[in-house]
Amino acid sequence: MELFLQQLANGLVIGSTYSVVAIGFALAFTVLRVINFAHPDIFMVGMFAGLAVTAQWPAFGLLVAMVAGAAGAGAVGFVLERTVIAPLRGRDVLMTLIGTLGVAIVLQNAMALVVGPDPVAYPALLPRRFIDIGPVALTVRQVANFAICLLLLGLVSLYVRGTSYGRATRAIAERPDVAAAFGIHVARICQITILLASMMAGVAAVSVGMLYGSASAFVGLLYGLKAFICMLVAGNRYFEGVMVVGLAIGIIEALVTGYLSSSLRDAAAFFVLIGVLYFRPNGLFGSYNA
Amino acid sequence: MSELLKVTDLAVSYGSVPAVDGVSLTIEPGELRVILGANGAGKTTIIKTLLGLLRPRAGQIRLDGQTDLLRLRPHEIHQLGIAWVPEGRQLWNTLKVVDNLRLGGFAEPDKALVDRRMAAMFERFPRLRERQDQIAGSLSGGEQQMVAIARALISAPRLLLMDEPSLGLAPKVVRDVFGLVREINKMGIAILMVEQNARQALGVANWAYLLETGHIVESGSADEIGRKASVQAVFLGGHA
Repeated sequence: MELFLQQLANGLVIGSTYSVVAIGFALAFTVLRVINFAHPDIFMVGMFAGLAVTAQWPAFGLLVAMVAGAAGAGAVGFVLERTVIAPLRGRDVLMTLIGTLGVAIVLQNAMALVVGPDPVAYPALLPRRFIDIGPVALTVRQVANFAICLLLLGLVSLYVRGTSYGRATRAIAERPDVAAAFGIHVARICQITILLASMMAGVAAVSVGMLYGSASAFVGLLYGLKAFICMLVAGNRYFEGVMVVGLAIGIIEALVTGYLSSSLRDAAAFFVLIGVLYFRPNGLFGSYNA
Repeated sequence: MSELLKVTDLAVSYGSVPAVDGVSLTIEPGELRVILGANGAGKTTIIKTLLGLLRPRAGQIRLDGQTDLLRLRPHEIHQLGIAWVPEGRQLWNTLKVVDNLRLGGFAEPDKALVDRRMAAMFERFPRLRERQDQIAGSLSGGEQQMVAIARALISAPRLLLMDEPSLGLAPKVVRDVFGLVREINKMGIAILMVEQNARQALGVANWAYLLETGHIVESGSADEIGRKASVQAVFLGGHA
């Protein structure tokens, strides 16, 4: 029971990061109809933006690192939208897919040129202390990561449900033509959406960099793959569905690690994907245009 | 008289397939005109082109005799006072009824004004007030049509484009909808409606166009068109 609760907590911690990255994918896919393969590497840029600031000014803490992560990732996301996604909008989905994939490769290799191909140490922005929550022991960093990601997810939910621009975002996701004909400036909302998705990813990246104490130019691959699976498993109808699946995949991975074998961990998400798509091809919570 | 909307020689194609060719029509402030046509005649194509959602191959669309709508994007056209009741309602089914209405006023900067207009809509459609927190997709067809119409009216348009408002509704609801169309027109809002239900549409319109495979083949006052043998044969179920 203790192992179960401990792994449940560990799973929630990393699952919350998957959720944040997955929401970025889902926003781009549902609102802009783009499979943004550069998203995981925007996440990676955010991680290094935070690292650069804290390496330069070690006195600055986590908060400043997160601001830098958001700024770095947001800037790349914004430029990507302007230069690759917007000009290819309305063309074949494959065009933007290849375009963003190209940007992803450029980002990874450019970063590898700057920082080297191997993982580098991430500064300890929070103390390595344990917090006991009942039978479960978590580090301060784990708790912080979970809290930060949960806050980001809460803000997204608040944005899409409670604000005028957020409702317009959902309106575009469901019916872009009707949204445009009702006075919604679709291109502007698309810009804002990518900016938001990128900034969130940047914050989460700093947090998870701190959590594991390392950063790498190729860190996006792992998170990107998991996040992409989360979106497919959930379906794109409800953003909250994607969030829940992100947490669930994290938990499943942790349980597989705890009870089976850590070598099976990365396969778990794929088993979930195959199982869910077999029975619910439009995802657990349904998809638009389905 | 100054035209509110003037369409000249409009031609729209899907790829190489012409959908609408050489269509000219006008509507004056406060009028209610209808375009009658069968499925595939090009009715929806005309509406979508007016909204800026489709780009025509040729032709002109002018508002108030001056503004060239073809230069504008859909959200800019909306801001000139043109609203849409789409074919088959096309509500945002995953959003609440109240959010559908609120989005109808998205472009209006004065949110207090939007709130007042929404209150007026709830006054007019008490059913929607009861169901305002439900997901729009869960409403009945008739209720959804009320939401679609109310959503379009929130922006206080000068011109309302209605695409087959009677489609898929029960006969009693169809009568209600056409009663509502008349009521909206009496408020001074010009309406351009496309319909297959000729009998009901001619009952409320003052002018009618007959559209066949992308061409306007007849136009005249609603009474005149209603008496034409060809219209009776095709749309009113009479004998030619």
